[in-house]
Amino acid sequence: MKRYTQRSSVVVEFSDLPFWKKADRRDLFYLGFGLLVLTMVLVSYALGSLEWLPYDPQEIDLDMLMAPPGTEGHLLGTDFMGRDILSRLVLGTQAYFLPGLLSITIALTLGSLVGVLSGYWGAGFDTAATYLGNLLDSFPRLVFILLVVAAFKPDIYYIMVVVGITNVPVVSLLIRDKILSLKQKTFIEAAKALGLRNRTIIFRHILWHNCRSTLIIQATLGMAEAILIESSLSYLGFGVQEPTPSWGNMVQAGSNYFMQGQFWSSTAPALAILVTIMGFHLLGDGLNYILEGKRS
Amino acid sequence: MRFSSVRTAAFVLGRELAITALLLAGVSLVVFAILFLAPGDPFSLLLEGQMGDDAVREALGVPTAWYAQYLSWVSNILRGNFGTSVHTGLPVLSEIIRVGINTLYLTLGALLITLVIAIPIALLSARMGNTSLTLPLTIAAYVISALPVFWLGYIAIYISTHRFGAFPIVVGSSGTQGLNMTAFLLPIVVLGVGNGTISEVVRYLREEMGRVFAEEYIRTAKAKGGSVWRHSVREGFIVPITQIIATKIPFVLGGAVVVEQVFNWPGMGRMAWQAAQTRDYPLIMGITIIAAVIVRMGSLLQRVVHFMVNPAAAGD
Repeated sequence: MKRYTQRSSVVVEFSDLPFWKKADRRDLFYLGFGLLVLTMVLVSYALGSLEWLPYDPQEIDLDMLMAPPGTEGHLLGTDFMGRDILSRLVLGTQAYFLPGLLSITIALTLGSLVGVLSGYWGAGFDTAATYLGNLLDSFPRLVFILLVVAAFKPDIYYIMVVVGITNVPVVSLLIRDKILSLKQKTFIEAAKALGLRNRTIIFRHILWHNCRSTLIIQATLGMAEAILIESSLSYLGFGVQEPTPSWGNMVQAGSNYFMQGQFWSSTAPALAILVTIMGFHLLGDGLNYILEGKRS
Repeated sequence: MRFSSVRTAAFVLGRELAITALLLAGVSLVVFAILFLAPGDPFSLLLEGQMGDDAVREALGVPTAWYAQYLSWVSNILRGNFGTSVHTGLPVLSEIIRVGINTLYLTLGALLITLVIAIPIALLSARMGNTSLTLPLTIAAYVISALPVFWLGYIAIYISTHRFGAFPIVVGSSGTQGLNMTAFLLPIVVLGVGNGTISEVVRYLREEMGRVFAEEYIRTAKAKGGSVWRHSVREGFIVPITQIIATKIPFVLGGAVVVEQVFNWPGMGRMAWQAAQTRDYPLIMGITIIAAVIVRMGSLLQRVVHFMVNPAAAGD
């Protein structure tokens, strides 16, 4: 009896609640949808790597051209060469997943580095970082990528390095603002007074304890962007080339048939792009509220 | 009083111009560095591909050191000489200006469409908070932002050809005079809806409007029976809207590359695509620089508008 009253008299602060109790239904829906999409991408990537696909994605079947979805054996139908669309969609995740991870890694590590430098060490770095950020923002991303394509004819990994670098300013600005707000709470001053080393303060107390959620959210948004860029590029013919499937070149390949009223072979990859990008956006925004307490 | 405000204006304008100039100098360095590092020495390519040898270069007065090459390149650009297209042999600048006007129509129209969709949604949810209406609108905004713009273009083309009998593909590149209205408006609408920024624009505007509506001077205006609109229009509308336009110009220009490809629209984006296909260095270089100049000009204009609306906030 005594235990019970004691427990109920404890004031639980909002920020101390576990995250699933802070979330409302909408956030949980966002998060759930996002996690579902993330799982599907991961599973597809694994299946594609292991080549556990219902059909060979490059096998041409002239008896089964443009089969509608739900056809016996072909769950999502076939394209204009009779190739199984489901298998091609699953294998299409290969086109962006690892390159996307590369771009995220670069954006997060360089972004944290620049953010810490400009927030923690102060004004000189800050001016330089702002200048470089504005400089990168001056280029329309796709135009800049086309310039790089023209100069180097790079493969998708090099392009994603460029994409990662262009995302550095976004991440570094967030980290910098976080550090400045921590400084106002005299949090860092206290840590220094306790005699902690700069390395400990930066890595453990700033990046790990305070910027972890920001970085996770930026990672989800970075993957959404990688998918957008990869699909746009392979749509334009600069990314993955036929017959290797990527969602962008699948939309492109189905375009003539689309205009004749056979929508499916373009629409299936387009819907895959739509759902996946939306999933990563929702994941990011759901996490943003649940971890950061920010309503988007 | 009067004098000091003129002086502040001159100071702010001067500072913004200096920042723009510095950034454009950086832009030119980045573009030069990329092409300098590119294999096959594009600068020799410009000289008919004969100039691999340093001695030949020197004999012809072509600079060999990278900084000398950069300086001569930049001074040419500043005089409006962007070189000639490797592919067509025409001067790059006049080519870009010829098609750039089409891209200007496309991007400005698209920005307008984006704002026409985003502002009412943002206003509605900023004034009313989270109502039952905002959830479907929010979800719709998410779906629209994730739509692949090329597929949206296909749908638009299909519907207009099959329902209205109008074929919205621009044939030839003789400019815009021969076009019918559908061919002209459809790409603009598609880019406006599908440039992937609507939900971000809505979110930003809603936040800014919500912030201004919660300000004390708005509360005071309400209490006095004054017009909320009149007091909120500067900080709550003009500043955030110009800000978001300036920030989104690069995204819309990037989206134009894809949309121009889908609709065969004779603009800068399509030219950039062709230049990347044929590795036409001077052309893609010129397009990148012009695009960056457009972005910086938009940003400069935004700073000026911000200063005119609220000198105190923009001054520092």
